[in-house]
Amino acid sequence: MRLLVLGGVAAGTKAAARARREYPDAEITILTQDEYVAYAGCGLPYYVGGIIAEAQELIVRTPDAFKHENRIEVLTRHQATAIDPAAHRVTARDLMSGVERIYEYDKLIIAVGAMPIVPNIEGIQLKRVSTVRGLTDAKKIRALVDSGKLQRAVVVGGGFIGLEMAENLAERGLQVSVVEMREAILPGFDPEVAALAQRYLVDHGVAVHTGETVRRILGNAAGEAVGVVTDARTIDADLVILSAGVKPNTAIAAAAGIETDARGMILVDAYLRTSVPDIFAVGDCASVRHMQTEADVYSPMGSTANKTGRVVVANLFEPREPFAGVLGTTIVRLFKLNVARTGLCTEEARAAGFDVETVLVPTPDRAHYYPGNQMIITKLIADRATHRILGAQVIGEGVVDKPIDSLAVGIALGMTAEQLSGMDLAYTPPFASALNSSIVAANVLLNKLAGKVKGISPVEVTPGDPNVVLLDVRTEPEVIISAIPHSVNIPLAELHERIGELDPQQPTVVVCKVGRRAYHAALMLQRLGFADVKILDGGMTAWPYETV
Amino acid sequence: MAEYTINARGLQCPGPIMRLFTQMKTAEPGDLVTIEVTDMGFKSDIEAWCRKTKNALVSLAEQGGVITAQVRKGA
Repeated sequence: MRLLVLGGVAAGTKAAARARREYPDAEITILTQDEYVAYAGCGLPYYVGGIIAEAQELIVRTPDAFKHENRIEVLTRHQATAIDPAAHRVTARDLMSGVERIYEYDKLIIAVGAMPIVPNIEGIQLKRVSTVRGLTDAKKIRALVDSGKLQRAVVVGGGFIGLEMAENLAERGLQVSVVEMREAILPGFDPEVAALAQRYLVDHGVAVHTGETVRRILGNAAGEAVGVVTDARTIDADLVILSAGVKPNTAIAAAAGIETDARGMILVDAYLRTSVPDIFAVGDCASVRHMQTEADVYSPMGSTANKTGRVVVANLFEPREPFAGVLGTTIVRLFKLNVARTGLCTEEARAAGFDVETVLVPTPDRAHYYPGNQMIITKLIADRATHRILGAQVIGEGVVDKPIDSLAVGIALGMTAEQLSGMDLAYTPPFASALNSSIVAANVLLNKLAGKVKGISPVEVTPGDPNVVLLDVRTEPEVIISAIPHSVNIPLAELHERIGELDPQQPTVVVCKVGRRAYHAALMLQRLGFADVKILDGGMTAWPYETV
Repeated sequence: MAEYTINARGLQCPGPIMRLFTQMKTAEPGDLVTIEVTDMGFKSDIEAWCRKTKNALVSLAEQGGVITAQVRKGA
């Protein structure tokens, strides 16, 4: 068998390496236009930040090792220019010599990845303007930062790579601004979670401008970037990082008649087969099935690339191993803040037709008396009809990867709020609370699903709205520390005797630190005949906006 | 000037700040109160609290997951 692989980063090399194990006699060739293969693309921001000292640490395997240890031919700086599916031939150009050659295949795996979306604006060609796609980009940026000449950077795009770059550049001493055209950073997260992350970044010295688009990049006489102009401001910058997302690199596939969709991704079935016989597609250029909605989605993640690269090899001759699909599970660390998600976000769940209930529940990540415990906030998104958990997001300085992974497993298996509440999870004080953070969140969710209390998201609260009373039931010193503007303070212990200060006919939102005291207060107000009582989801802990 | 020490380890918010608040009410200006806390949120809380009251944050340290703050009562 002659196996030809187009692309040599994660998915392509994974596929080639497994193919070698499964098919010892196959002739395996990788063509890639990059000068490096098998590198850990997700590690690039940390290389710029200096946490990864040398670029070579990110290279998993060299072309030489592939050749001598795996008998896999790797041709770098070779760009595939055309696929002829009928003849089973690929034309590729050697970018160094310019010579074109034809490569014949029995099976073809397309793993050509994605390319950064580069806005077509004035100044985009200036020096010190860079994407962060490959090792070549990262080396260029690292050298600039190492030179010590840079003071200010603008990162265009508030997705994972952009924010990780912002963090790493800030850690290197640069003054960093992030410009995001959407209303929130962290696409795929619910607005209150994204707002918390945004506030955290701002508190750590990174300026974040959402709802703003970069219109042009300013340059000096030497052709170097010196600033960007957005629709709202001009920001000085001697480095501009473009991280406004990626698009599948699929012109060659589309030209060959392989089915792609409007977003440009190559459409594959559960066995990662394209619409054309003997041609497969994996990694950042291909679609994957969403486990919950069964829609074809785009998931340009290192985890997905490695998994699909592995699975595709089982299906080269017959459909044997379906790819399970994705839940959109992702995680990011920004300074000491950890943010993770899995399953559907609220907007996706509503779009999929679910009647959604959500909770936002702060808890310590381990026993509250155990030194080193940190607060995490768990958001659960559930279907009111079936009580199934549809999605989860966890944010905080504490441990979030453990809860998000266990929630991802449960969501993939169709877990309900009742089942989550009853899970037998690992407990001892250094690791967890007796009532695990996810179980507490499930219990709050069950209370809401049972109609015991109504919640309101911080994004729906307008401080100063004359029609709504914001009732803060915390103690006096807590209120001194920080409070929502225009809130009224009656500590829970005094609420019964001071109830006359409140109007039962006025809609009331009850606020406390995490939600527990607000729940007690809300139950009391409801018993006393208050008509419209809601508690602020997540309390002050999850309040992402201004305080006084 | 008197010195007081509060062990607020294991207490969750609002426990630590309430203990400090109560102690400060009975203390005289110039008295020093040392408090130990395991609720990590206390770190930013005590800074904000001292800034907004007339009390001085003399020191704030964290070791092994225990925050130790020294607060001198203001006039």
